[in-house]
Amino acid sequence: MPLLVIGVSHHSSPVTVRERFAFPEAALPGALQQLRASGLAREAVILSTCNRVEIYAVSDLPESLAAVRLRQFLLDYHGLPDLPGGEIYARGGRQGLEHLFKVACGLDSMVLGETEILGQLKKAYQTALGHRHTGGVLNKAFQRAFHVAKHIRTETNIQRGSVSVGSVAVELAERIFSTLSEHPVMVIGAGETSEKTARALLSRGARSIFVSNRSHERAVALAQELGGRAVSFDDWAAEFPLIDILVSSTSAPHCILDRARLEPLMKARKHRPLLLIDIAVPRDIDPSVNFLDNVYLYNIDDLQAIADDYLKQRRDQIARCEAIIAEKAGAMMPAGADVVAAANGPLPGLGQANA
Amino acid sequence: MSWWTDRHFFLLAVIIYGASAVYSLFLWRKGFREDDRVNYGLLLAGMILQTKAMFMRGFSLKECPVHNLYEAMTFVDWTIVAVYLVIGLWPRLRYLGAFAAPVIVAIGVFALMPGLDPAHTDPPLLAANALVSLHAALTLLSYGAFGLSSVAGVMYLTQEHDLKFHKLRAVFALMPPIDRLEKITSRLLWAGLVLLTSGLVLIPWLLKSRPELHAGADPKVIWSGLVWVLYLALLVLHGRFAQSGRRFAWGAVAGFAFVVLTFWGVNLLSPSHRF
Repeated sequence: MPLLVIGVSHHSSPVTVRERFAFPEAALPGALQQLRASGLAREAVILSTCNRVEIYAVSDLPESLAAVRLRQFLLDYHGLPDLPGGEIYARGGRQGLEHLFKVACGLDSMVLGETEILGQLKKAYQTALGHRHTGGVLNKAFQRAFHVAKHIRTETNIQRGSVSVGSVAVELAERIFSTLSEHPVMVIGAGETSEKTARALLSRGARSIFVSNRSHERAVALAQELGGRAVSFDDWAAEFPLIDILVSSTSAPHCILDRARLEPLMKARKHRPLLLIDIAVPRDIDPSVNFLDNVYLYNIDDLQAIADDYLKQRRDQIARCEAIIAEKAGAMMPAGADVVAAANGPLPGLGQANA
Repeated sequence: MSWWTDRHFFLLAVIIYGASAVYSLFLWRKGFREDDRVNYGLLLAGMILQTKAMFMRGFSLKECPVHNLYEAMTFVDWTIVAVYLVIGLWPRLRYLGAFAAPVIVAIGVFALMPGLDPAHTDPPLLAANALVSLHAALTLLSYGAFGLSSVAGVMYLTQEHDLKFHKLRAVFALMPPIDRLEKITSRLLWAGLVLLTSGLVLIPWLLKSRPELHAGADPKVIWSGLVWVLYLALLVLHGRFAQSGRRFAWGAVAGFAFVVLTFWGVNLLSPSHRF
């Protein structure tokens, strides 16, 4: 009895459509119960994240009929009218299994190779398992999907490296400092990117954070959120000897830190290594400071170039991952089973996922 | 296998070290992105053969094999590999081997040069010989530690350069952070300095059995004192006066380059160290 996947994702529809299909976490057990009580699915798992809403089901009905009825269930559950385009896609048989594996590995994610989806998939499966909505087919398929995700993580570089500016900044910090917990961070300018960068540093062990902003109220608010301390914008240099990492993103039209100003500050810091992350446009930090000993300056383009290269490396791994997935899916679902699934014909009125 | 002498085993070890050095070039070109287990394995295999060679020599002489230039060089080589194999147990520090391999090969090839391994002719004076062996072993161990510190220094300079000039390798390479490399360089230098000090303080006892020698007039003793002062100055400057990591790393590299380039010549000048 083949696996059937039906749903919407960032590949098939914009967020304005996806948000209408979202299942609140608390509603999942009820939705699963309703789905099984309708006789549409013998087993079911519902995955609902910001980038996808998918029903993984095993049905007693013929595959094409099950797909149409599941689609209708999805629309009816959310009280939505029919969608004219190919927003809702379906995958059956071996294609459905390969789709599940790709989702688990992050190959179908918006950020290629990201790992958050695996946790979300595990949670969705646990919810269904905990309420006894899974059986032999889905249990085996999901367990295998988790195994394949682990295998791909260890055998390929699909999840290696950072693909966001914030996480690249963390990687750079970790190339200079052994442990971030001993190296205080200062954030100048409480913008969104600097906040994300600070959060990324915190998530990797940084503890002490100073926040300085022209609007002191905003600095205080962000410092509270990050568990740090707000510093008056006019006095940030006074705290400079304490810090080892600076994230700057002010909207100042000129540099706030140049070589002449940094040299005495470096002396006060006893020439400890200093990582400067300048994500402001126009730039906050004069590039000439990079010529000072123990100073490492990166601007937004430098960080983006590293992130882009990581993404390119991940893309280079796609073919390898797909080969592994095809092999694992083939081992679980022999060619004969796929032929039976294919014999049911294309799923009428449904798009195909762009996985 | 009886025709296989200790030198054959050492030659085999140097060939394996050479393979490690060639492999290191590929690692360099690939940007040090994969875990360096192959290089670690090669250096381990070479080390096993070299240990066998040194044991054979030691058992045949019934003393620590550190009495001619060949033996001294193999001892320094062995120390560098042994310390690396311990440090390389930490995956992030394994690439130290890629930087160490060329140095290890160079010292090994130099040791194998003809004329550096004359037969031992001195009659063994057991008590004095034990002290000479201890003195030689401690000082040679210290040169090994200085050698590996210079390798860590080169690794620091590479990583620091890549970070400074925004080379992608700085992020993609599986290399340790530069502050850890600085600590490793510093600790190896301290270890070397302690070993060298221990070796040098034995000199007055050694001279008791050789009254014809005068330490103050022996170029090797003066040279050793100079090396000791240089390394102490480097460590003090780094520890007390916040010398930058780059200058410190250059100091470690330059210090060992000085030792390597002058070791043989000073030995030729020294009446007490003429092998």
